[in-house]
Amino acid sequence: MLYTRPTSTPSTTLKRRQWLQLAGAASAAWAAPACWAQSTRTVQQPGRLVVVFLRGAYDGLSALVPHGDEHYYAMRPTIALPKPDGTPQTTLALDSMFGLHPALAPLMPLWQQGVLAAVPAAGSPDPTRSHFDAQHHWEIGMPGKSGNAAGWMNTLATFRATAPEEYAQAATKSIAKSVAIGVGEANPQILAGSAPVQLIAKGEAAKRQGALGGERTRDAIMRLYGGDDALSKAFRAGADSRMQTAQTLTAQASMSMNNGMGNGMESREMQAANNGAGAAQGLLLDAQHLGTLMRQDRQLQLGFLSAGGWDTHANQGSVTGALANNLGNFSKALVQLRRDFSQPRDVVVVCSEFGRTSAENGTRGTDHGHGNTLWVMGNQVNGGRWHGQWTGLALGSLHDGRDLPVHHDFRGVLAQVLRSAMGLTAAQIDPLFPGYAWDSTLDGLMRA
Amino acid sequence: MAMTTKIPEIDRRFALKSIAFYAVSTVSAASFPSLSQGTGTTGSFELALQWRAMSRLGYGPTAALVQSIQAVGSPRAWALQQLDMAATASQRPPVLAADVASINAPLPDIFAADRREAEARRTIKAQGDAAAEPTGLRRLEFATTTDPLHFNRTMVQQAAAWRLGACSQPEVEVPLLARMTEFWFNHLNIYAGKGSVRPFIGHYVINVARAHAFGKFEDLLLASARHPGMLRYLDQFQSVAPGTGGDQGRLRGLNENYARELLELHTLGVDGGYTQTDVRELARVLTGWTTGPAESDGFRFALRAHDTGNKQVLGHKFPDGVFGGGEREGLQAIRMLAHQPQTAARISLRLAQFFVADNPPPALVARLSRTFLDTRGDMRSVMQVLLESDAFWAAENKLFKTPMDFACSALAAVQDGTPDRRQWVQAMGFLNNAGQPLHGWQTPDGYKTDAATWLAPEALTRRADFALTIGKQIRDVDFLLPYLSAATRANIAQEKPALRVGLALASPDFMYK
Repeated sequence: MLYTRPTSTPSTTLKRRQWLQLAGAASAAWAAPACWAQSTRTVQQPGRLVVVFLRGAYDGLSALVPHGDEHYYAMRPTIALPKPDGTPQTTLALDSMFGLHPALAPLMPLWQQGVLAAVPAAGSPDPTRSHFDAQHHWEIGMPGKSGNAAGWMNTLATFRATAPEEYAQAATKSIAKSVAIGVGEANPQILAGSAPVQLIAKGEAAKRQGALGGERTRDAIMRLYGGDDALSKAFRAGADSRMQTAQTLTAQASMSMNNGMGNGMESREMQAANNGAGAAQGLLLDAQHLGTLMRQDRQLQLGFLSAGGWDTHANQGSVTGALANNLGNFSKALVQLRRDFSQPRDVVVVCSEFGRTSAENGTRGTDHGHGNTLWVMGNQVNGGRWHGQWTGLALGSLHDGRDLPVHHDFRGVLAQVLRSAMGLTAAQIDPLFPGYAWDSTLDGLMRA
Repeated sequence: MAMTTKIPEIDRRFALKSIAFYAVSTVSAASFPSLSQGTGTTGSFELALQWRAMSRLGYGPTAALVQSIQAVGSPRAWALQQLDMAATASQRPPVLAADVASINAPLPDIFAADRREAEARRTIKAQGDAAAEPTGLRRLEFATTTDPLHFNRTMVQQAAAWRLGACSQPEVEVPLLARMTEFWFNHLNIYAGKGSVRPFIGHYVINVARAHAFGKFEDLLLASARHPGMLRYLDQFQSVAPGTGGDQGRLRGLNENYARELLELHTLGVDGGYTQTDVRELARVLTGWTTGPAESDGFRFALRAHDTGNKQVLGHKFPDGVFGGGEREGLQAIRMLAHQPQTAARISLRLAQFFVADNPPPALVARLSRTFLDTRGDMRSVMQVLLESDAFWAAENKLFKTPMDFACSALAAVQDGTPDRRQWVQAMGFLNNAGQPLHGWQTPDGYKTDAATWLAPEALTRRADFALTIGKQIRDVDFLLPYLSAATRANIAQEKPALRVGLALASPDFMYK
């Protein structure tokens, strides 16, 4: 891994860290996935997994539009997306049943290249319509369970094999190297648990070293946190991680500048950082940062991003409007992720805690529903088509007579992804999603 | 319940070091002359209790607060005194600086200014001129920002300025009142990022969270339900009986957003025993509850938008023949919800988590809950039980500061007399980056307050940034030093004077309350 250290190496912590990276890079191995164990000579590069969580329950029926279902238009008289007529102001047809929201036009090439797929009726089997409970279920991988538990992405991070002896020795002296990174949220539950996780700030702040930038001040602070207690260790790990993050992102920004991409990137970043209004807009900048950091540090295999602002109870709009704006920003972020995560086994998953009511409510919006569209992107994805069961929007087919049913447990979708990208077996997936069942109806989702 | 932390759990040694052993070692005390004054005889145990009282029943020590708690002698007695003062102060209008007073203007005036901004923006749009935002706004300078175009943004900034002043200046706001205001605002959260809510944030803080901080919970809940800030935030103002027309014939039916959160978050809790049918029925009961731009309380009941049919929520029938129908159905339903045992339990748990520990002793929660029910939701009585409990004072019940706690405690420590608004601006920047902007949580659950959420490695280093920035211009915080550990004081004493204040605020000891 390449990055330049400042001429004055600061604290002993950083030296240890540097050494750790060298030791760790030589031994980036995960626990026992069958496909990597095939041959030591042709070790297949393990895939990286990025999860994008749309918090607030995004309206999948406005993203993957069931334009072939007349009930859709009957139930959504003012907010339905118009039937495809070939113009960019209507649904962009994918097939005779589904199409993309016009604001998702940037995703069309990915669909056509066959690297983007959708599962239109996925979700959690738990019927809760509480955002907060449902998000918790998704994040700990256990529908219906409340209380504290590790996030499933953290559990996945713990699967990393025990490294060679020297690595283990070093690890007792400092914080072990993260394989998972989250951008933007203080401490998302999905990454919570015993494995070390790198959590970096949202937006431009991720580039700043702050008080740690000056040697004298840094040394003084580090002395305050020189102890063996957990808070001190956490602080030192945070200082390492932050300085490295800032250096990597700053180096990347100046490189883009030299390549003549500076202006575009800078203005995009400024835009994303300055406009606090649309959380989905900040997603693009966070996606860029995630891509850069995971490219520079190949030990990072798991990435997490999120965006809020999807709880469209009123005036959500149709071709234009609040939801269309959010979807537009989201699609740019997804295109950005495709640039950085296009290695053979990389996969990006986009999900949300539940769907919204099939019918619009009394205020031209939608209330909390059940099933929803889940997106999967990557070279291993059997893309350009949707997967799984779809039973339409006739009243008799709806959950509780109002919502899209959950035909596919989200854990079943993720299990398919994990098998393909990470080479995990069903037995290895079980600790992530205790008691889940393999969903063989989705066996075509990923290429073998 | 096992706490799953993102980093290894804070070990016991540190806890002991930071909470119990504020030992004033005579060796290092010699380097801080102030130690020999007054506190020299105060034991470490007593200092720890003082720290806890000042940091939890307010945001942290100031020179004046230290004097006041030491004058009273017993931290427990001081705490009860603070409760009296805070409850009394909640019944008086807040002390608002002249240039932020507009946040508490009469509601019809706020509605009118909101409309003027919308009109001004339409004109600008028609003319194609870009409207530059006044530069003073970001710096919390309001004297020159009377531009109708930026009314809403100004109101948001003014509300934030009021909160930062209130949490860091005991002479402006009784610390425990600022604390309870934070608690109730967070419990009944509204969001400054939703355009239509913006002008009402400050008014909601003052007239809902603050005014009812120590009153009856049902009055607080009703004040929230009828305030334009909440009516707009959770879309209740638009929710009408299916098939009836709203204003301009545009609105046609039910929106269950507010009804759901009223049950799930404000009262019963998600496991409180209600069903989707209850959500929908409650939404029907509340149809017609909408904003009243010309009314002094900003509320209007639109009879023609009300669903007059028979409804049933948690087994209670509406209209029930005794209370009659219409607006009274909603009043009755909300009061009924306010007094449910599940509500008492939920409020009690959240209070105990806010003031005592992330996982508070169940016995304490049960006592608070019983008091809540016995007193018909009298929050002053509930708080008194909390402050008199041993659990509140027990060293093992640790609390890690949230970013808000940290920012306010640092501001409180460095402010002396006239506040420096540049420091407030820096505090706002810190809170934004830390993920806890003032009035900036988008969803109605409010911020989490536990260490599992806020104790994250990189985030810790950003606290140090803020501490060093605002510590720069200050000569000393001697009143704070006796509360820090001997090791921290020794480390600080090694550094050049210009760094010392910042390091005290950045120290591990200062991260706990």
